[in-house]
Amino acid sequence: MDNLAERLRSDAERIDVTISPEMDNRIRASLTGIKPDAPRPPVRILRRFSWRWASSATGVAAALAVIVLINLRAPEPMPAMTEPAYTPFAMPSVALRAQTAVLTSPLEQEFEDLQSDLRKAEESLRRDLDTIF
Amino acid sequence: MTSELALIQAAKKGSVDAFTRLVCDYREGLLRFLVTRTSSFADAEDVLQDTLISAYRYLHSYDPRWRFSTWLYRIAVNNAARLRRVETVELGDLGSEESGPLEQCIAAADRENLWASARRLLSDEVFAAMWLRYVEDMSVSDISAVLERSESWTKVNLLRGRRLLDKELKRESSTNPSEAYG
Repeated sequence: MDNLAERLRSDAERIDVTISPEMDNRIRASLTGIKPDAPRPPVRILRRFSWRWASSATGVAAALAVIVLINLRAPEPMPAMTEPAYTPFAMPSVALRAQTAVLTSPLEQEFEDLQSDLRKAEESLRRDLDTIF
Repeated sequence: MTSELALIQAAKKGSVDAFTRLVCDYREGLLRFLVTRTSSFADAEDVLQDTLISAYRYLHSYDPRWRFSTWLYRIAVNNAARLRRVETVELGDLGSEESGPLEQCIAAADRENLWASARRLLSDEVFAAMWLRYVEDMSVSDISAVLERSESWTKVNLLRGRRLLDKELKRESSTNPSEAYG
């Protein structure tokens, strides 16, 4: 034990206090008048459990009530006409109105030139084929 | 310890004699401690009485894993704190610490009591921690339980208290070497 600890201990002992006989009697008298409390049962825990069960039961009851209400509701009347079954979409027929082209003179000339070009190309192709085979 | 437990069991069943024997060894130490924490000797006696009554009434809540003295001191600290709060509300101020019961109880001493210096230098809780450590030989964990503080708080404040009182002791030794202790 160090100096400080020793000094603190000895100085504490030098604090002069005594329990007087009056004080002793006073304490004893006050103790005689009371009884030690008995340990209390864990009420809170029980209450917490009961609340939990109560809330579970309420939940189950509510669910049952909803099921019963749904099942007891009158069934809706069947509709007289039902929707037709699915039919594939039929493409509507469109009346085509084609008109014959009326060729004007420059177009007639061009058409003849094209036919002439086509004939020349055909003759050239036939010659080439004859040459090759 | 076994006899202490037997006395506790008997007291729980309502034996005032068993309880009186149980607390007999603690009463004076408790009163000495309470003298340092109240504003008058009468208050210290009242708090001691309240402490013993509370201990007897609520003995069923005592946990035998603790030392009985730890439990008793915890009740005493709480009762003293409650009284101080009431006094502060009623009087506004507790008055001068110089004329407190501690000073009255050590007035006849030939040298300054270090606890009087401690009362002046340390806060209430640090003072209590120092007292429980150096007078009641309580462990740090017991002191923490009594003061409802963490163990680290207790360790740090015990160290601070020690340093302050060490300094005070050295100052006293240098001022008056013939009366120095050790």
